[in-house]
Amino acid sequence: MSQPNRPARRANLMIDAVVLIGLVSLVFGAAHVVGEWRQPLHSTVKIDLSPAALPSYALYSFARGWIAYFLSLVFTLVVASWAFYDTRAQRFILPALDVLQSIPVLGFLPGLVLALVALFPNSNVGLELACVLMIFTGQVWNMTFSYYDSLRGSPPDFRALGRLYDFSWWRRFWKIELPGGAQGLIYNSMVSMAGGWFFLSITESFQLGTRDFRVPGIGSYMSVAIAEGDVRAQIAGVLTMGIVIVAVDRLVWWPLVLWSRKFNLDDFGGTQASKSRLSLWMARSQAVQKFSQAMGRLGARLIRPKHAPHMATSSSLPAAGAPPRTGFGRWLYRIFLALTIVVLAFGFVRITQLLMRVQFSDWREIGFDSAVTFGRVLAAVGLGTIWAVPAGIWIGLNPKLSSRLQPFIQFAASFPAPMIYPWILLLVIKLGGSLQWGAIPLIMLGTQWYILFNVTAAASAIPNDIRSCSDILRLNGWRRWWRYLLPAVAPGLVTGWITAAGGAWNATIVSEYVHTGGKLYEATGLGAFISRATDTGNFPKLTAAVLVMAVIVVGINRTVWKKLQTLANDRCRFGT
Amino acid sequence: MNAPTPLIDVAHVCHEYASNAQEHDLVLSDINLSIAENDVVALLGPSGCGKSTLIRILSGLIQPTRGSVSYRGQTLTGVSPGVAMVFQNFALFPWLTVRGNILLPVEHLPPSEQQARLETVLSTVGLGAYEYSYPRELSGGMKQRVGIARALIAEPEVLCMDEPFSALDVLTAETLRNEIGRLLASPDHPLRTMVFVTHNIAEAVFLATRVVVLGAQPGRIAQIVSNTLPYPRDPDSPAYHAAVENLHRILTNTNLPDTACLPADAGKTVTKVDATRRRIAPVCLPYVTPGEVLGLLALLGDEPCDVFDLAERFGREFGAVVRVIKAAELLGFLTTPGQDVIMTDLGKQAVNASTTEQKNLVREQLLKLKIFELLVRLIRVQENHTLTEEELLRELQAALPHEKPKQLFRTLLSWGRHAEIISYDQRKHQLRLYERKHGPRIVGHPVIPPAA
Repeated sequence: MSQPNRPARRANLMIDAVVLIGLVSLVFGAAHVVGEWRQPLHSTVKIDLSPAALPSYALYSFARGWIAYFLSLVFTLVVASWAFYDTRAQRFILPALDVLQSIPVLGFLPGLVLALVALFPNSNVGLELACVLMIFTGQVWNMTFSYYDSLRGSPPDFRALGRLYDFSWWRRFWKIELPGGAQGLIYNSMVSMAGGWFFLSITESFQLGTRDFRVPGIGSYMSVAIAEGDVRAQIAGVLTMGIVIVAVDRLVWWPLVLWSRKFNLDDFGGTQASKSRLSLWMARSQAVQKFSQAMGRLGARLIRPKHAPHMATSSSLPAAGAPPRTGFGRWLYRIFLALTIVVLAFGFVRITQLLMRVQFSDWREIGFDSAVTFGRVLAAVGLGTIWAVPAGIWIGLNPKLSSRLQPFIQFAASFPAPMIYPWILLLVIKLGGSLQWGAIPLIMLGTQWYILFNVTAAASAIPNDIRSCSDILRLNGWRRWWRYLLPAVAPGLVTGWITAAGGAWNATIVSEYVHTGGKLYEATGLGAFISRATDTGNFPKLTAAVLVMAVIVVGINRTVWKKLQTLANDRCRFGT
Repeated sequence: MNAPTPLIDVAHVCHEYASNAQEHDLVLSDINLSIAENDVVALLGPSGCGKSTLIRILSGLIQPTRGSVSYRGQTLTGVSPGVAMVFQNFALFPWLTVRGNILLPVEHLPPSEQQARLETVLSTVGLGAYEYSYPRELSGGMKQRVGIARALIAEPEVLCMDEPFSALDVLTAETLRNEIGRLLASPDHPLRTMVFVTHNIAEAVFLATRVVVLGAQPGRIAQIVSNTLPYPRDPDSPAYHAAVENLHRILTNTNLPDTACLPADAGKTVTKVDATRRRIAPVCLPYVTPGEVLGLLALLGDEPCDVFDLAERFGREFGAVVRVIKAAELLGFLTTPGQDVIMTDLGKQAVNASTTEQKNLVREQLLKLKIFELLVRLIRVQENHTLTEEELLRELQAALPHEKPKQLFRTLLSWGRHAEIISYDQRKHQLRLYERKHGPRIVGHPVIPPAA
């Protein structure tokens, strides 16, 4: 009986070894990246299209993505908590986030790049930071909304417990707030990572007027390969990106998702605390055990309260909502608030100045282009709906199928679609089309997945009795769709539409304006207008167009989507 | 039983669910049943005996793994043509009004006909004022009235009901049960044939003309009892009481046979109706928790008690109480002659013991069971005396192929940890033998790392 254990122990040693190798390579990778950053400023690097250069490029992009992610995480925790505890600030923060969310990444680009490059004139740090921050703007917003929602939804019993035992804000954060928000945060982090990769080929390589900026990475590798029409390099780049996505998904997100299930607040089904094979191996590895014990002790020391409950000098309990603020804190807060107002005022003045320089004919062009793009977005969402709703229902109602297809769909959704735009465009042109129409499938490539995901989730949540009932009532054909299936998935469908439409507007920037094989393909539309304005460095036009796009997205959200969402949630949710 | 044309005929039906790629749970084993016109059939049994699966099979919602179901002589391949169904959780479409929900089955009829039928059923179930409400606004009882109205409006030949009153509170359930009884009793209502699932004996006696008693693991027909009391039935009449008593006895004998606990004898206790005589897997420990068994002992008292009275007193479903009793009997705390439950001396000792003594007693008794012997031995032979969950599951599957390993594992875990035989590290999914720590317990802040 003792034989089966020897391999187990050997396996444990192997895991230790793998973990150590992983750590060492992480350190080397970090050193490599830091070395690149500290090089003197060279705004355009020569991209080496040989496949041998790819691992290095992938590492740079990977590092940028994760740095941006950690910035997003910090931003999320700080801003969402601020919005939650400060009811006055909340009224400004939430709408601001809503607007920021709808601003396409190119809207942030010129300001960020010029400011940061000016700030670090002698090293690459400025350009790298600008790139990281642009990825950040593609990641952060939905995470912040998710964490804010989980703060609002955190059970009052836990909060009462925290006050009863006199938790400090620090302890409350670790023991109550973060565990409560973990699941939503992790799920949204996955979505965010994909969102950050989406514009990678823009964020790593772009033109601003006469200046050409390029940082080494897989995004710039792809954009050079596409521009030069080097198909072999394109394929190599796509494969590398695919490997990175699968690796991150398997090694980071999947274990995290399973781990976060222990924070499920309802106990039902909690007994099936499943774990990924990986995390189980890790838990049984000696090295990881020692390390996590040490971290645990450190963590415990950091969270440990300084005194017994209610023995601090302050005599009264803090009020339910706001945390207590000391005199110093209040001043700090005021200074911060004043600074924010100054920055906002400055920004407002600058933007107005820029807008004053936009000519009437430009406004007219923006109006017309917006209408065209609106049509494209509508078509893309509509076409996406036509295939994704039946597919989502089909998958959602077949649990076996959905567990088998899930990894593939997830992969398709998180792969940065612009990397394969040239191939689709080639196909469109071969079929006798132009980018005017071809932009629609390009937009769909990035956005239809949101519809599919949400419809699948909604369909799999249809109660068993309702399914049986629809069979017994012989709801067939059109009646099956209108009376049963469509209303049943309506809440998920609307959520999918909101995300898809918002994403579609932003995606027009890359899909209405494609450089490939030394040629530039342009379609009439707001997205192409924005891209062109960036390329020619026309900041007034760029500002105007970006503003219009943000206004349209927010406006449609407020007038159409929010109402549809309320209706769907009122009418079509199952349960009491 | 004078059987004219059988309306529904179930022949040699077996059904399995694939719990995963290797495991198949046999839920129903060789079911033979025919339902004639004017039959009101109750499918009665503890939870887990497959009665809900059976009603779904005979309405054609589920295709059985083996065997066939025919409706008026036609073998069913899809949903049965003359059947309507009332669901336990109502299954109302939240996006349709009460009117929309009820009209669903008759939308192919001309509007005037629809309206006429709607008015009839609305007045039958008393929902007139709710026609344009959404289901969300209604109470449970009202929701189920909509469910019943929706089933009746199709004028089905057979009305199937899957635990129709069990999601309702006691008083509302009583009212609705009486109303169904009145429908059956009234000579001018067309509904005559009905099949319903229940775990409530009184409900079966009150409504049914035939009661099909099912046994569990796997689900099989233990006995079919006919109930010839005339409608309307009076729950206070001696004949009614006798029928209830009779069913009590049958259910107890099916589910609590005197010898059931000795695995070697398990095969013999299968009742006569089970034709195939599939060997029933030895029940090694029913899936209950230590708290339930000790709670039962504490509440039992010295007098012998009837199983059904117990179920009623605890407000628990009969099958669940039986499982607890079985477990207590297995540990030697109870005996169950007939349908009585009597505490043994050991049981009394356990009740009066201190927490520690009680644990010791349970440990002693558990270690006498083969399954715990196996568990302890398995852990001892491991290097480091550490057994992983996967290994144990594999061993359990090999040793007891008819049990569900995951469920058995959880049961073993809860008993083993309660009795301090084993301990379990949930972070690593590993089991060890429990070692008592000497010296004072250190009480401090429980340290949980923020990120493991």
